[in-house]
Amino acid sequence: VSLQQDFPGLFLQEEEEEEEDFVLNQTPTYTQLLAFLHPQAIELVQFLLVKDQKKIPIKRADMLKKVIREYRDVYSEIINQATRTLQQVFGLELVEIDAKHHIYILTSSLPRAEGENLCQNDETAKLGLLTVILSFIFMKGNSAKDSAVWEFLRWLRVKPGQRHSIFGDVKKLVTEEFVRQKYLEITPIPLTDPPEFKYQWGLRAAKEISKKDVLRFVAKIQGKDPTFWTSQYNDAEATS
Amino acid sequence: MSEAGGSGDLSSRSSGAGCDRLSLPSTSRNGAVPQRKQQRLSGRHRPQASGEEGREPEVAEDEPGQPGSAEGAGDERRRRMIRNQYRELIYSVQQNREDMLSSKSNRLTEALEEANKLFSAVSCAREAALDAQFLVLASNLGKEKASELHFGMTAFDSLAFAEDLLTFMGINRIEKEENDGDSDCEDISGGYLSCNAWHKLGAEAEQYFRRAPSFHYMLGSFKSDPPVPRQRIERQKKTTGGEEKRAMPAQLKKMEESHQEATEKEVERILGILQTHFKNDPDTPISFFDLVIDPKSFPRTVENIFHVSFIIRDGFARLKLDDDKLPIIEPSKDSERREGDGGAGKRNQVVISLNHQEWKEIVETYEITEPMISSPLKNEDDMDTA
Repeated sequence: VSLQQDFPGLFLQEEEEEEEDFVLNQTPTYTQLLAFLHPQAIELVQFLLVKDQKKIPIKRADMLKKVIREYRDVYSEIINQATRTLQQVFGLELVEIDAKHHIYILTSSLPRAEGENLCQNDETAKLGLLTVILSFIFMKGNSAKDSAVWEFLRWLRVKPGQRHSIFGDVKKLVTEEFVRQKYLEITPIPLTDPPEFKYQWGLRAAKEISKKDVLRFVAKIQGKDPTFWTSQYNDAEATS
Repeated sequence: MSEAGGSGDLSSRSSGAGCDRLSLPSTSRNGAVPQRKQQRLSGRHRPQASGEEGREPEVAEDEPGQPGSAEGAGDERRRRMIRNQYRELIYSVQQNREDMLSSKSNRLTEALEEANKLFSAVSCAREAALDAQFLVLASNLGKEKASELHFGMTAFDSLAFAEDLLTFMGINRIEKEENDGDSDCEDISGGYLSCNAWHKLGAEAEQYFRRAPSFHYMLGSFKSDPPVPRQRIERQKKTTGGEEKRAMPAQLKKMEESHQEATEKEVERILGILQTHFKNDPDTPISFFDLVIDPKSFPRTVENIFHVSFIIRDGFARLKLDDDKLPIIEPSKDSERREGDGGAGKRNQVVISLNHQEWKEIVETYEITEPMISSPLKNEDDMDTA
């Protein structure tokens, strides 16, 4: 019932089929949505959903080349329609994480569900590792040296040289996969020999989780109040 | 003929061994500096074969023209040792930066003290350069430590965080496993993680993320072609099966009727036995096992249970548990019978399993010698009854 309230257009209803006029202020019903959707917008929705499976950000250039194609002149309207559909039908938000290079990701716009997630697979474990790294980086002042990060991970029985029973090649996971997914950003520190790297939050991380949330996570693990770490707390408050 | 050259001449007389002849006060570093400078200059003036840089790996060429004295060789060994110790110290500081940065640890001070000790034996430029390298490292670390003090009232203790994470993930803090050979003093606490430790942590972390769930088609994303040949096979099977079925009913009907009649008759007979027993002794409920168990025949016992279940299904009798939690059976009164037929009321189901061994045990425990349900009247099927 509540689903019906939130998405009145989600289920076909007899009465609404007769409404032909599109009132701009109302959320369009499902049939109205279909009637006014550009076919490329529908294709784009499917394209984005599949592309998001591996969590690699999607370039607008790809969208234009593979889906929108000859309708380039109305591409912005198509993208808008796709955005609306994703929001109303799937509760997903199409977010531009890089305005210069036009790179997008999908995030969830629904409030997080209560209760235990019954589907726990390797992705869950990887998310755990990622969260730990992101927390470390944030608590260290939004930036950490690679040697510091790996020393920290060593304490958690994660060693870069060894094959991990769950993560496999951890070094590859952290320095390649997480970076490609834009969860982490690793940049070399100039004038260091042997070369050292700086670890920071990636563009995706900034959109999927907030500093406040990370601080809450750390506070929960350590059994303290978030205000215990004053400057991190202030930093988190300022960035929300 | 510069001054440096002059001082070079002085010490070049005692060129290899001279380095250790000059004893240096090991008090403060400041005191040592000016003399070190001299040493360095004199060192440079030696013939090029030495080519000293503090970081080079061991090359045993730096004492040219050395008189083959045992002392000289011993000095060289000592110096090599010092260099090794410095390098170890530097390496250990580099590897354990986070640990040293932790506000709890005194390791930085300890490292400094160790370096100081090492330095007391140093007299040549090469070791001194290593010492300088260590100083750079230590002072960087010190700077970082100081900046953390600045950074809010409480610096972030990553070691404590790591320990708390391990606790959350459910670490089993038992004695270290024998195959845990590589984790010596690096691991902060003994024990090992279970295989779903990271999943547990991930499940907790998921709640803080606004991650879009991965979209997957439930039935796969391709249209399937294979079914066509399969249908042909299925149809063939069905045609043959149909004929068989057609042939069957003629026989089946006969069998079923006879079976059904037989069952009904049996059920009625048993009900009669039950009611007779109860009439004779209305207050004592009959033990279920006493009723159904035939001590001489296991198959008969199973048949009895089968027949009794019909009685209970139709509501003519009830199964209960007595005070000892053993099943008893009693006929139900007329008024209750209606409920059994209706089916709309509460239905309870019980599954009883009995194997040969259990049957034997019950016979022994209950001391059943005679079956309550006598053998049925003979019908066409029973050929072998005496």
